[in-house]
Amino acid sequence: MEHSEVILEFQQVDKRFDDQAVLTQLSFSLSAGMVVGLLGQNGAGKSTLMRAALGILEIDAGNITTLGETATDLSIDAKAKIGYVPQQPFGYEGFTIASALELHSSFYPQWDKALETDWLARFGLDSKQQVQKLSVGQRQSLALIMAMAYRPQLLILDEPVASLDPIVRRQFMGDLFELALESGSAVLFSSHITSDLERVASHVALLKQGELVLFKEIDALREEVVLVQLADNQDLPEGLTVLNRNQQQVLVDNADQIDIAGVVNTTSLNLEQLFMELHR
Amino acid sequence: MLELIKVNPSSGEPIYRQLHEQIVRLIVGGQLQVDQVLPSVRQLAEHLAVNPMTVSRAIQQLVEQGWLERRRGQPTRVANKQDAPTTTSLQLLESQANDLITKAKQLGICLDDLKSLMEQQWDK
Repeated sequence: MEHSEVILEFQQVDKRFDDQAVLTQLSFSLSAGMVVGLLGQNGAGKSTLMRAALGILEIDAGNITTLGETATDLSIDAKAKIGYVPQQPFGYEGFTIASALELHSSFYPQWDKALETDWLARFGLDSKQQVQKLSVGQRQSLALIMAMAYRPQLLILDEPVASLDPIVRRQFMGDLFELALESGSAVLFSSHITSDLERVASHVALLKQGELVLFKEIDALREEVVLVQLADNQDLPEGLTVLNRNQQQVLVDNADQIDIAGVVNTTSLNLEQLFMELHR
Repeated sequence: MLELIKVNPSSGEPIYRQLHEQIVRLIVGGQLQVDQVLPSVRQLAEHLAVNPMTVSRAIQQLVEQGWLERRRGQPTRVANKQDAPTTTSLQLLESQANDLITKAKQLGICLDDLKSLMEQQWDK
């Protein structure tokens, strides 16, 4: 599958809140068909990055290009091709699900009514119900329908599935693939549920204190990033990308390319272990 | 055959390699016969709840290595054994054997002791 068309691009982006750097020299891009899992501790800058991509937030330096336009200056046409589910629940208080969807869909020319009906049934939502009476999980489901029923070219999800049950989460992941692969969209998806990211993501972006420490295809990540235990007093060779180090235990990126002397053992890591090792 | 395949996304091993290994195992073990049709990439991905690109990568590799064949406009099938690479059942256990040997060495167990442990367990 070709990853040709760039849908979202960050170029050396800096963002500060007062004196605090939130994003530092951030560069990466999403192309059609990519599902990028965004991983990082609370406060690492994930939501800031997403909001900046949508132009909700101004950046201090660098460029963000969203669907070929400057993020802070998006046309109505571009906005109608973007889907976003924020962390916080949204409005539509006082609406029934049906009337909320009717109003919401009127902003999107590409809205697919059949898809809406399917997903309402799938999530077990009753369209006559009042939005303010929904549980957190039901609100998340509704927010997902609102962000996805027009098959957006760019979908940005800020921890959207934490309150969904595992069965619905799996079905939802199937929808994400369909969107990415069949509609040629790009998805940026943050979650603390690493096992979900492992299934869903084609790529993983890892943020640590506002810096992008890793951005790789998920399979490459498992092959190239390993934890190496070195013999005592053994020095590291030149040219190795060290992500973290605790005495003789070293997390390295390109271990497959360089011969390391004095290795006691090498461990490959799943995403959760990698995350823990990176933050030790 | 869907029920014969399982992946563990949280193991450190890439999902496409897990899939690759399991399908080879099923072919060598005879659970998958020559000419048997495989589920589509989409069905596999849906069943396993993993990214279809990952499944597609595993299938592609198996086709390149001659385990599977794909003719134009037809579903993917198990290739004729004559064209398949000569992997023996023993080779399929190599990586597990390596894991076991590494652990044995860490515990300071010698080869003879490991062998006798195997013999002991074998007859159980």
